[in-house]
Amino acid sequence: MPAKRLGWIAHRQRSFLAGMAPALVVLALITIAPAIYLVLTSLTPLNLTLPGSAWDFSSPAGNYIDLFEDPRFSRSVWVQVKLSVATVILQLLVGLGVALLLNGGTRIRELARSGFLIPMVLPPIVVGILWRVMYAVDISPFHRFMAFIGLPVPSLITDPNWALFAIVIAETWEWFPFTMLMVLAALQMIPASPLEAARIDGANNLQIFRYVMFPYIQQTLVVAAIFRLIDSIKAFPLIFVLTDGGPGDVTEVTNYYAYRQAFTFSLWGYGSAIATLMVVGIFVLSWVIDRLTGAAYAEAD
Amino acid sequence: MQKQIDPQPVVARPSSNPVSRYWFQRNRRWLGDVGTIALLLLVLFPFAWLVQMSFRPNRDILGYELLFTPTLAHYKALWTGAFPASFVNSMITSICSTVLALLLGVPAAYALSRGGFKSSRRIALWILATRMAPPIAFTIPFFLAYRYLGLSDTLLGLIIVYLTFNLALVIWMMQPFFDGVPRELEEAAWIDGCSVWEAFRRVTLPLSAPGLAATAVICFILSWNDFFYALVLTRTNASTAPVAIVNFIQYTGWEWGRIAAAGTLVMLPVVVFSVLVRNYLVRGLAAGGVKE
Repeated sequence: MPAKRLGWIAHRQRSFLAGMAPALVVLALITIAPAIYLVLTSLTPLNLTLPGSAWDFSSPAGNYIDLFEDPRFSRSVWVQVKLSVATVILQLLVGLGVALLLNGGTRIRELARSGFLIPMVLPPIVVGILWRVMYAVDISPFHRFMAFIGLPVPSLITDPNWALFAIVIAETWEWFPFTMLMVLAALQMIPASPLEAARIDGANNLQIFRYVMFPYIQQTLVVAAIFRLIDSIKAFPLIFVLTDGGPGDVTEVTNYYAYRQAFTFSLWGYGSAIATLMVVGIFVLSWVIDRLTGAAYAEAD
Repeated sequence: MQKQIDPQPVVARPSSNPVSRYWFQRNRRWLGDVGTIALLLLVLFPFAWLVQMSFRPNRDILGYELLFTPTLAHYKALWTGAFPASFVNSMITSICSTVLALLLGVPAAYALSRGGFKSSRRIALWILATRMAPPIAFTIPFFLAYRYLGLSDTLLGLIIVYLTFNLALVIWMMQPFFDGVPRELEEAAWIDGCSVWEAFRRVTLPLSAPGLAATAVICFILSWNDFFYALVLTRTNASTAPVAIVNFIQYTGWEWGRIAAAGTLVMLPVVVFSVLVRNYLVRGLAAGGVKE
């Protein structure tokens, strides 16, 4: 009898493995194999116009050395930092604010929730186009209104001082619903009794938010921030449609620079080196955040 | 005899103007509703503007009068160009990639949920890493490999690339749904003579149908919305609708009416679907981050 039971368990585990195997094999083929290929390419000066450059490992660190001396690369990292920090902070603030408003629990606010998440699900290219409309002087309702009241404003996306700001606004518009939805879910998990108790004790709204609600949603805010931070490093369609990295290179983030090097200038080795550094950077960043927040929670508990 | 109740509040509130404060407190419900509606209109304004532009006749495309005779001219113009083909391409790639991801990912998610494998944590990390990695890190090797494999500018090539995010998403999203199905039901089916996968197909899968539907819709949305992969890996034959819009801009310039119409068509399915799966969106888009 036990032997038969063991046989069934072994058989069951084999069935599970058989069910899992195809997915894992495919996932390995489409994620790990390209990752290896990417790193290998980054060690070569691959340029599709130069035959023989594909597997030329004569100076494996060449691309990386060039990168550290490339001012345009370091500028792109700086643009990335500015864009990421600004959009993540704005998204958290706006998302949190809207979530608190929608948490009011009336029918209208319940319905409004579906409306507020529209920006997030729109195809990014459409988001780019509709902000392109908003920023085009001759067609944007905003610019036409300003011109109408005698205060014409030049287009933000063609002004080097404001182009990045224009991207930040569009990016915040697109992604604040993400924080909003996550915070709303967290707010609805807060038990009613501490809120009641605080209200009876005469706490005002600000105090209730700071001392009762905030501890419950703190972790959600951190998770939302991490996700948005990492996704902001992938910013592409908005920049592609709104500014194409310009004017000059003021909105050229690292992702965009890698794309240009590889797909515009055909410098595949160099583009791969940038992409490899981006992957490493994202993993290091996730690890650091994980350690920092993990330590903070361990302390708080 | 009862004492007269003091109408003053017991706790003195630190407010400079108690009258306005009480008025605000008493009316905060509908004030909040009004604020919500105003904010919603403001947020959706750019979106609504694009939609109305798509119906505006060309001669007053720049107009901002609220009243105009809507026209379908821009949609008709789109219909005769290359746009319908790209729309079909988008449909084919999104649907095929979703179906493939489900076929491969659903059994894997079930096995991970039930198997109690030691390596399941490592697999979860791997899936998270796939979610975090920037698309440029995939596009460069895929582009180079596709040149040799003859897959560049093909629908099959795009379908495979979309698996990089869809497959990981399916495994991640379906696992908690399977965790929620009581094991006793499957065990009963096993005792009745079902094999492991028969029991899965007849018992567990039907019980997880809402989760399956939500996962499928989110996979579809992510593939449909993709711009970067399609831009890089297609040229003319397999270009999807988002890329077609961009090509269109590059060839004919900023022809606002037609661009607005194309944009409206591209976002239509997504807006409809997203309202349907609203409650699962967070789990899907934050796959890997939201702890159940």
